Amino acid sequence: MSSFAVDAGSSSLGEADHLVHDLVAGLGLPEGTVACTHLIRTGTAHVAVSVRLPPGAPAVEERLTTFARTRPVGVATGTRRLGPAHLADGAAVAEAQHTARQAGRAVIYPGVAALTGTVSFEELFAVSAITRVAVIGGADQPGRQDRLLTRDHVRPEWHDGDLTLAVTAVERGLYAPFEVPNPTPCCADHA
Amino acid sequence: MSHHHPHSHSHDHSHGHDHGHEGGSDLPAALDTNVPDAELNPADLSRRSMLRRAGLLGAGLAAGSVLGNAATAAATPRIAHPGRPPRGGYRWLAGDHHIHTQYSSDAKYRVADHVRHANAYGLDWMVITDHGSVQHAKIGVEKVNPDIVAARDANPDTLVFQGLEWNIPAAEHGTVFVHPGKGEVPLLKEFENSFDGAVKNATAGTPANEALAIAGVNFLADAVRRRRVQDVLFLANHPARKGIDSPHEIRGWRDAQPRIAVGMEGAPGHQAGGIPAPHGPGSARGLYDNSPSPDSFPGYPLESYRTWGGFDWMTATVGGLWDSLLAEGKPWWITANSDSHNIYADTAVRGPGTDFPANGHHNDPVYGGDLNLGDTDFWPGYYSRTHVGACDFSYAAVMDGIRAGRVWVDHGGLISGVDVQLRARNGRDSATLGETLHVRRGAAVDLVITIDLANGPNWAQFVPVLARVDVIQGDVTGAVSDRDAFTAPNTKVVKSFEVGKSTGTVQFTYPLGQVGSPVYVRLRGTDGNRTAVGARGPAIDPVGPAMDVLGSADPWKDLWFYTNPIWVLPA
Repeated sequence: MSSFAVDAGSSSLGEADHLVHDLVAGLGLPEGTVACTHLIRTGTAHVAVSVRLPPGAPAVEERLTTFARTRPVGVATGTRRLGPAHLADGAAVAEAQHTARQAGRAVIYPGVAALTGTVSFEELFAVSAITRVAVIGGADQPGRQDRLLTRDHVRPEWHDGDLTLAVTAVERGLYAPFEVPNPTPCCADHA
Repeated sequence: MSHHHPHSHSHDHSHGHDHGHEGGSDLPAALDTNVPDAELNPADLSRRSMLRRAGLLGAGLAAGSVLGNAATAAATPRIAHPGRPPRGGYRWLAGDHHIHTQYSSDAKYRVADHVRHANAYGLDWMVITDHGSVQHAKIGVEKVNPDIVAARDANPDTLVFQGLEWNIPAAEHGTVFVHPGKGEVPLLKEFENSFDGAVKNATAGTPANEALAIAGVNFLADAVRRRRVQDVLFLANHPARKGIDSPHEIRGWRDAQPRIAVGMEGAPGHQAGGIPAPHGPGSARGLYDNSPSPDSFPGYPLESYRTWGGFDWMTATVGGLWDSLLAEGKPWWITANSDSHNIYADTAVRGPGTDFPANGHHNDPVYGGDLNLGDTDFWPGYYSRTHVGACDFSYAAVMDGIRAGRVWVDHGGLISGVDVQLRARNGRDSATLGETLHVRRGAAVDLVITIDLANGPNWAQFVPVLARVDVIQGDVTGAVSDRDAFTAPNTKVVKSFEVGKSTGTVQFTYPLGQVGSPVYVRLRGTDGNRTAVGARGPAIDPVGPAMDVLGSADPWKDLWFYTNPIWVLPA
């Protein structure tokens, strides 16, 4: 098994990020793992999580089955499904998107731990699995010596086979990831 | 009323200016020609001088008459167009329909605090819009009303509406506000209890919740039909902020009740949000800093989650979502508001021991002793203004003007006034903002733009300079087959005028030529400080607004105005 996905019906990206970290810790996932979040918009919209293991990684089936049994989650691994159908379906969508490298927002990926503080794009490409940068709201592409203000929160997405980081210009020569760590919450929650 | 207080003598304004006298004028001081200039406060004087230059201060106004009435309007001289038909002869009343008070869990000021500031900053009308919530539905919606009534009495030259910031089921927030009267509180309360997304636990983007939103809009229309209230309007707030107002939802509200659901914020509030730290919040202009979520519309690009020159992406994108709505030939108007909760660099803090969940309001604010540099909002009227062409100074006229689309908006006092006329060359027919010019097929039509440049400093104490005015034109292509469409392929900037002067009035004429099929035009203007190629390319919008930078967006250095459209319908 080189990949699987878990759908806990997470209501937000933040909640799904927690699930990713729970999986990494709970299943003892090795270095080289890529774990993504996926927006599932069927039924009640929510977020599922997919995991792709590096070649030669130890088997996790048993621990995954245990993990799934102790929580209300759906799991998909290849053609196998576990848990409630609507969640297992969400997991299957997530796994397929990740496998095709067409969608999925990576929370865990090779090099993510090194992307803190400010790094140059040269370093970014050298140390991490990110292979492409997309500038939002501007035409200028960053040079290799330009810098990325990571805010310690770098979440690239699969797009056409490339792990692509959306960035915006902060000032000349300085960019930041489009996604911010703590976006302004919605006032609708104040009830 | 029976007291006698003719306006021919001087007033003691320390006792307030009385209004509504019998046989006299019920005009605000700025409009009452019996009140000499010397007796006006600076805000009123500024308001009056603009009206005077626009030719709107005179006999017709002093009599409190309806300028929309052709006979009366004809008697009103218009300096900008001597001898022209008086179609533009409206009183332009500045306002804000999105303001929070201590009856919102995330805000803190008294109604009076907002009204006093709004009045000083030159607003003529405002809407108190506390968040819909369980506490608000139970307590706030009723308890805020006496505060609003008192503020109306204390500030007779500011119209203070009671409204609600509706958590639209399955979508963003929206302003719902009513004409004052006996029905205002019961109606708002029933609406909130029945249709608010937070109260009904209906915020998720499900078909059932989308249907509840439509039912809410229908309920409002029914309330007017049954005369529970004199009038109601609904406008969508910060529509692109979180990507959860899908194009089909917006079309759904509009098409369900086009006289109730009339528009959206073209520019959100929280305009101080991007002022750099440590002297500012260092966040996003408009607090637009989100990313796609499970409930967001999947078609929206990342660009839609940020503001552009302070404006919402739906409005700022030429050929974008707003244009796709206008290209249907249906009304959908834009506004600009403060969304005031907590004022940037103010010193007030919530009163000690405040307990919103228990009380439904925060204790009155107290002096906090320090500058609140992390706060993101401006006082109503301080930065964002929605200018409405009204037939008279009244609640009904403001609502009518908004419904008619006689609305333009600006930031930072970029201009003092604008008159836009679409004219047939026959010399008779003319249409202004929100209207439709009916002409014979192939008739030649001109767009005549008259702009009063900033007639004085804004509230940052500088005189803004308008650099450029863009004419945006689009084909009216009728109802869309895809209700989620958000582009208008045949809309683009067709002409840009460099202003080249900084005081007085400028006039531009753009000949549309012979019009053979329905089109619309709208205007946009800028100080020219921050520009970029528009999202749909240089052939569509070569110098549009630039995306605002997170943590570094000084709102005073990037000013724009936008007008609502005018249509031409050849037949």
